[in-house]
Amino acid sequence: MSRFIQLHVLTAYPPANLNRDDLGRPKTAKMGGCDRLRISSQSLKRHWRTSELFQQVLATEQGDSLIGTRTKRQGVLAYDTLLELGVSEKKAKLWAQKIAEQFGKLKKPEKDNPLADLEIEQLVHLSSAEQNGINALLKTLAEEGREPEKAELDLLRKENMAVDIALFGRMLASKPTYNVEAACQVAHALSAHSVVIEDDYFTAVDDLNDRSEDAGAAHLGEAGFAAGLFYSYICINKELLIENLGGDKSLADRAVAALTETILKVSPSGKQNSYASRAYASYVVAEAGDQQPRSLSAAYLKPVDRYSEDYAHDAIDALQKQLQSFDNVYGDCADSRYVLNAVTGEGNIKELLAFVSE
Amino acid sequence: MEYLVFRLYGAMASWGNVAVGESRHSAHYPGKSAIAGLFGAALGIPREREDLHQNLAQQYRQAVKVLNVGTLLKDFHTVQVPDSAGKRRYHTRRDELVVGKARLGTLLSRREYLVDAQAVVALRSCEEANWTLAELCEALARPKYHLYLGRKAFPLSAPTAARVIGADNFRSALDHYESPELLDYQPEWARQERWLPTEESCRYYWEGSLDDFSAEDGEFSAGSVQRLSRLDQPLSRKRWQFQPRIENLWQS
Repeated sequence: MSRFIQLHVLTAYPPANLNRDDLGRPKTAKMGGCDRLRISSQSLKRHWRTSELFQQVLATEQGDSLIGTRTKRQGVLAYDTLLELGVSEKKAKLWAQKIAEQFGKLKKPEKDNPLADLEIEQLVHLSSAEQNGINALLKTLAEEGREPEKAELDLLRKENMAVDIALFGRMLASKPTYNVEAACQVAHALSAHSVVIEDDYFTAVDDLNDRSEDAGAAHLGEAGFAAGLFYSYICINKELLIENLGGDKSLADRAVAALTETILKVSPSGKQNSYASRAYASYVVAEAGDQQPRSLSAAYLKPVDRYSEDYAHDAIDALQKQLQSFDNVYGDCADSRYVLNAVTGEGNIKELLAFVSE
Repeated sequence: MEYLVFRLYGAMASWGNVAVGESRHSAHYPGKSAIAGLFGAALGIPREREDLHQNLAQQYRQAVKVLNVGTLLKDFHTVQVPDSAGKRRYHTRRDELVVGKARLGTLLSRREYLVDAQAVVALRSCEEANWTLAELCEALARPKYHLYLGRKAFPLSAPTAARVIGADNFRSALDHYESPELLDYQPEWARQERWLPTEESCRYYWEGSLDDFSAEDGEFSAGSVQRLSRLDQPLSRKRWQFQPRIENLWQS
């Protein structure tokens, strides 16, 4: 198995304001002495990990032990199990509620549904490790005929590792024992070409203004925007990811595939109502190997020429040349590669996902 | 004497500096903690192994030659997190942002990043060092954890091309190391001074005495060396403490 999976992704966005600075203008950075558009890694990660797609890809088949279950009914399940184990109804309900409470707020009691207050208000994604932990605890409680202790309930959360935390890490200054080292490195996305942020001067008209007194606008404003072809770089440490997921390799494989699909399809949501700039990736190189990972941003140290007739073609060309040139100079920088080119229509996402989750 | 010499280049970098509260500044070149951390990652030393990290920070002497100073970039950074009131513990980041929506608050920080910066680093080992320079070199070539330039979001944008070379002192080690070209194609524009211009004069930072750096010659004299103190000698990771470290600066 290769330790590192590297993704080099080119995505073209039409005019937009995807990631803003303190003045509400698109973020920028200099590279090769020229101004570039920038999307911060934090912004990218936030949108990937909170996207519906990422959730869905990881939790489509209900009950699949690898990917956990999304349910509101954990408390009911625990209650039923306790009854089967011979615990009295009253105790079973109390203990099940204590367990369910760990995952979310309980619903209010209902008159005609005696088990309503065992349900949680939101769907909760439970991992198989967590499920096993609950079952083990229920068994202990039934055998010893006592209610769960505080420390035992705490363990329910600690054992479990959510996939997004395993990938992107967690740092809690106050509770360093819960810290997790991120298995995925995400660079700031930079435009392959130089940009000048444009100013959109806009007015909004009052529909009820009948122009009898004045025909002026009800609101004036200014918004910065720019279009860009972005180079993004992501490096996943598969070994660390498996470790973070408690040795569960198949879950790690699914996580990598889910993340890759999300990276290709999910865009930052900044100002989508104004610009509707959602885009899919146009070009992807995936690499696998143990070699020292490196990004290929040097391909765009010289920005793609602003007189270029075909940005996509020139950007892909520069990326391929940089990849080859690093290989020539330093020796092969990866063991194997897969290329998806949505500009020419080469490769497909199914094969790409199979490659990264090998 | 043997030196491990390598190049650090990335589109963006940020080298830890004294940072209190909202402003997170960057130094202009990698410090002791950054280089020790880089090797810690390469060797795959878990963060809890303070003894091993201390060895990396104390048993090697380093020198840095700044090839490109780069420019500073200010980043405005926000993080949304729900407050921790109540019993609720959030399971995933999605839970925090979706389930805890009503409680979301925003943390602000202003961060400094370096762009278009490039440096060469030389390392010499002391007697008590746990790893030979050759072992460190191999670890860089096949690292266990991610390598990055001060922040995880700043990957290397070119291989480090690390080599162990014999030299009389830091200066000759740094000057004799020829890193492979960043761009070996399109030579007509790679030579354009604009994209990553060569500095007219080079800054050298090193630990130790003047002799460790160079024998006196026409351009190098003791009088032109500045002594600097930088708070980057790791003392305790748990308590996040650093000691002052004395460094020399000479500009060619």
